[in-house]
Parts: sequence; structure tokens; C-alpha cells
Amino acid sequence: MPPLPTMTHSSSFLLPSSSPPAPPTGADAENAVSYAVVVLNQRLPRFAPLLWTRARLRVCADGGANRVFDGMPDLLPGEDPDEVRVRYKPDAIEGDMDSVRPEVKEYYSSLGTQIIDDSPDQDTTDLNKCISFITRNPPGPDNSNLFILVLGALGGRFDHEMGNINVLHRFSNTRIILLSDDSSIFLLPKTHSHEIHIERSVEGPHCGLIPMGAPSSSSTTTGLRWNLDNTSMNFGGLLSTSNIVEEEIVTVTSDSDLIWTISLRKHT
Amino acid sequence: ASPLGSRAKMRICADGGANRIFDEMSQMTNDLDRNRYIPEIVEGDMDSIRPEVKRFYSSQGSKISDKSHNQETTDLHKCISSIRHRTPDHEKANLCVLVTGALGGRFDHEAANINVLYVFSDMRIVLLSDDCLIQLLPKTHHHEIYIESSVEGPHCGIFPIGAPSTSTTTTGLKWNLSDAEMRFGSMISTSNIVDSDKVTVQSDADLLWTISLRNLT
Repeated sequence: MPPLPTMTHSSSFLLPSSSPPAPPTGADAENAVSYAVVVLNQRLPRFAPLLWTRARLRVCADGGANRVFDGMPDLLPGEDPDEVRVRYKPDAIEGDMDSVRPEVKEYYSSLGTQIIDDSPDQDTTDLNKCISFITRNPPGPDNSNLFILVLGALGGRFDHEMGNINVLHRFSNTRIILLSDDSSIFLLPKTHSHEIHIERSVEGPHCGLIPMGAPSSSSTTTGLRWNLDNTSMNFGGLLSTSNIVEEEIVTVTSDSDLIWTISLRKHT
Repeated sequence: ASPLGSRAKMRICADGGANRIFDEMSQMTNDLDRNRYIPEIVEGDMDSIRPEVKRFYSSQGSKISDKSHNQETTDLHKCISSIRHRTPDHEKANLCVLVTGALGGRFDHEAANINVLYVFSDMRIVLLSDDCLIQLLPKTHHHEIYIESSVEGPHCGIFPIGAPSTSTTTTGLKWNLSDAEMRFGSMISTSNIVDSDKVTVQSDADLLWTISLRNLT
């Protein structure tokens, strides 16, 4: 059986803007990476302004627009709130509009934000709709080096969190990273062998690998304190949680899609 | 947390959970008397509990169960084991363990806490947050979920986290499942709505049930 192609991962987007992002690795070196940000309806994580500034496309899912309107000035206390709001204007607000405050919608609409009014749909969540919107309207020529950073996807209502994790599985060919103040999570598809480059200044050391949705009969890692060696993982049995990143590159291969999670450092 | 505490027969703090009770319970109940909220047991590897908190509860009669020698299991796992061990067989069927603080925070902790529901699938364990509760519906049983609409709902969901389901059937939901397949990567039941006083679920896979909690002032 031919070896699996390698997928590399890096959280260089979390590095403060004063330090240059790590040079793109592997295939990314030829095509610069671009970012899109999606804001869901939860309190903004502390690094929201940094990621927003890095992104070329910013979409709010319904009440996520309230969070940007209220939260960005709070995260930038030294600046004039009105100027902050104009600078941190979403490109689009998408959803059924039952959470976004009317005056917030009006405000952004008058600044040119696209308002996409979708009726509630049992089959797709707000995040799902936003990802679809971004993949249909990529900020660059194509999606091959597009990373979608999602704020507010974890915590809150558990059914929302599960729906958001399911989006990672449904769009397994799209690079989507779910971020909260505490953790970063993304999918490691079984179709690839994975190299995760660890940015120690902003993430770690706590990490985990979770077979969400189906058991894994064989996973193998390097770079962790407790590496897996052809190990099986499943709910009801072993999951790799409270593991520790020990090296700058962690490698993972598995017969099943896995969710990788790593803690984010408090001063990020 | 206070109504739950007063109803419980046994109250256990997992390590730093004791700090939370010490700091926050009296704020929530406007009661300056910490002596009213003394856990029977403080259990775990003791790397989070503050020394003065441990001393206080120990002096008030809490059993301090130091399991720091066991690094294989999480603090919640240790607490559930401990509860099971201390519960007489004839009481086990009627025992329900209510867990606060299991959700949110670090995602790997959350996954490990959810795994405890699967590992101890013969026990009733409910994970609670401000926003919702989660319970396991083992595939071995047909489930009847009685909805207390004054405190919970209407948002709910059902998830095959451990393995896909080829057949799940429900009643009592706005969007019921009828012999439906559910799988991560495809359809799972999120943002569903409770439509009746009683929801029933039957499946060929273990499922997680979640329902939103109303804001109780």
C-alpha cells in the first residue's frame, strides 16, 4: 500500500503580529496561506483582534455580529469604540437573523456588510452555512491554501458544539480550525499522515487525540509524552487526553479521522 | 449548584472543585457560612486544590482521598469509581450522579469527562453546565425522557459520538428520527426541539442526549 500523503499543520496565525509568521512549510511555500475568520455567537476570545487583522475575509454567523460589535472595543480598550467598530467590520453576516440585534445589523449594513438572510434549516448549522459561503466566495484565487479560523465554536450549548465539530467532518477537505480561549481543535483526516508544527510560545503543552464518531483500531504518534503505537482508541475505552507535547513536531497517522486538540497559553 | 447540593446524599469535590465551592458557593447563595457546604469527600490527585482549602475541609470533617499515585485516570473517573464503591448494591439502581464543571474549558478534559459516561455506562451520570445537560443513552435500552419544561428545553440534540448509528428512532421531538442513520461526517441531530412532555429514543448505538437549561433567576 502506498504511503499516505502528508498534511502539515501550524498555528503560526496565533503568533503576535510583532513577530513574523513562521515561513510556510512544504507545499505551502509556493502559495501563501490565506485566512478567513468566522465569528459565532459566543464571547470573543482574547486573540480575536489579531486573527481578524490577519484574515482576508470575515463572516459573522447571526449573533456573532453582536459579539464583534460589543466585544472588539472591549478587547481594544485604549482605542475609540466607534473607530474600532468601523475597522472591525465583517464582510458578511449570515444566518436566520433571529439573534443579531436590529441596530447592529443596520449599522454594519450601512457600512457595506453583506447581509445574507437564511431561513432556519434542520440539516445545516450557522457554521455550516458560513463555511459554504466562504468556499463559494474564497478571498484568494482558490481554496487550496485557505484556512478558516472559527471563533466561538466551543463551550456554550453542547448541541451547537457537536454541530460545529461535525462541520469539520463534513468539510474534511477544507482546513477549518475551531478556537476558544482555552483550546484549538481541528480534524486529522485518515487519508493523510499528519505533521503538526507546535508553536510553543502560544500553545501547549496539554493536548489530545479524540476519535469522534467512530473508533480507531490503530493510531501511531511521535512527539508526545505518551505516544500511541498502533494503539486502538474509542469512547468507552482509551482516548488520548491530558497528553503532553514534547517535541516541536508531532506526527499522527490513524485508520480513523481524529480530532486533534491543544491547549492555548493564557497570554496568547 | 446550591439546589443540587442540598438534595444530594453525597457530595464529592474533584481536586480543584473544592476551591470552587470554597470561593463561589457562598457568593451564589448569599450565605457567608462555608460550614453549610462541606463536601463529604475531596478526591483526586490534589495538584489543583489550594492547601488552605484542603485544610479547611479536612478540619470540617471531609475525607481527603489522595489518589495522586494513580495518573492513569482523570479526577472525575476517580470520583465516579469512589461513588460506585461506596454505594450499596441495593441503592445502585436508584443512584444518579450529578456532575458540575465537566463541560467547557479545555477540550481534552471535556472529551475525557464525556468518556466517563461511556466507561461507567451502567451508572446514571448527568453532566451539567449553565447552558445544558448531557446524558448517555445506552443502546441496550429503550429510553423515555421526561421533560421538565420549567427548567429545561426546548433545544436538544442526539449524537453518536462513539460509533455511527444505522438505526435510531425517536418520538416527542420536532424533527423525529425514524429508523435513521446518524454519523459524524453526515447527519447528527443538533438544534432539535422538544415537542412533548416525553421524548423516547431507541437506537443500535450508544447516544449522547443533550438538552438546554433555562436561565433560572
